[in-house]
Amino acid sequence: MSAAAEQRAMLKEVQQADFVVVELTLYTNTHSNDEEALEQWRLAIKEAARARKAYEKRYGPLSLLSVPSEQAIEMGWRWNQPPWPWQM
Amino acid sequence: MWVYEKKLLYPVEVSECNPKLAKYIAEQYGGADGELAAALRYMNQRYTVPDKVIGLLNDVATEEFSHLEMLATMIYKLTKDATPQQLEEAGLGAHFVNHGHALFYENAGGVPFTATYIQAKGDPIADLYEDIAAEEKARATYQWIIDISDDPLINDSLKFLRERENVHSQRFREAVEVLKEERDRKKIF
Repeated sequence: MSAAAEQRAMLKEVQQADFVVVELTLYTNTHSNDEEALEQWRLAIKEAARARKAYEKRYGPLSLLSVPSEQAIEMGWRWNQPPWPWQM
Repeated sequence: MWVYEKKLLYPVEVSECNPKLAKYIAEQYGGADGELAAALRYMNQRYTVPDKVIGLLNDVATEEFSHLEMLATMIYKLTKDATPQQLEEAGLGAHFVNHGHALFYENAGGVPFTATYIQAKGDPIADLYEDIAAEEKARATYQWIIDISDDPLINDSLKFLRERENVHSQRFREAVEVLKEERDRKKIF
């Protein structure tokens, strides 16, 4: 796998995990008493945080709410650095 | 406020340079039933709806901006390597002389975006019914683009977006029921 393909694959794991949160957030907005969905939603947020941390450790923060990892700093990570999402 | 995330909601890949397909996709970028209209409509309605449905309008509006970014990525990737001749053959000659290779908020016919595409009535039921209709029109538009497109990679992303319109429509329908229940409860007490 090329370096770019590897990055896309790891990013896809973040996208998948984040999407579950997006979907369950909308669902629980209109089903505020569905305890099972709320529990799934809480677990999905945890899983999304895990996937994000794994990606960001290697490729640097996806947003400026994350602290840059030492690995990313050593690699010379900068926010203003390609690839931007439409360049991937 | 918003914080930018350096990722798309869902991956966007294209098979090859295809400015004609980009022109069609513009309908969902800057058209009447497109994602810009959707995002601006919900973001603006959220101030004057009951608390119980603010979260839904806020969160769907935010998602629509991520859809807008996906469509921009499609248009960018489909046109970035096109020559002026290829753009002209695709019906984008007028676009090129005005905008070069830049994107623009316009529909498939090149008509610029206008706020008259959207409404805010200050009546939660009227606004939510408009929102349901908007999602259904967007879903139909995605279907027509998929039907006319021969790019399987683009179609994968378009099918994702089409499904999201279904989900949003369903959530807005539920929001109408939430408001009706609240109204009926107030009458009893």
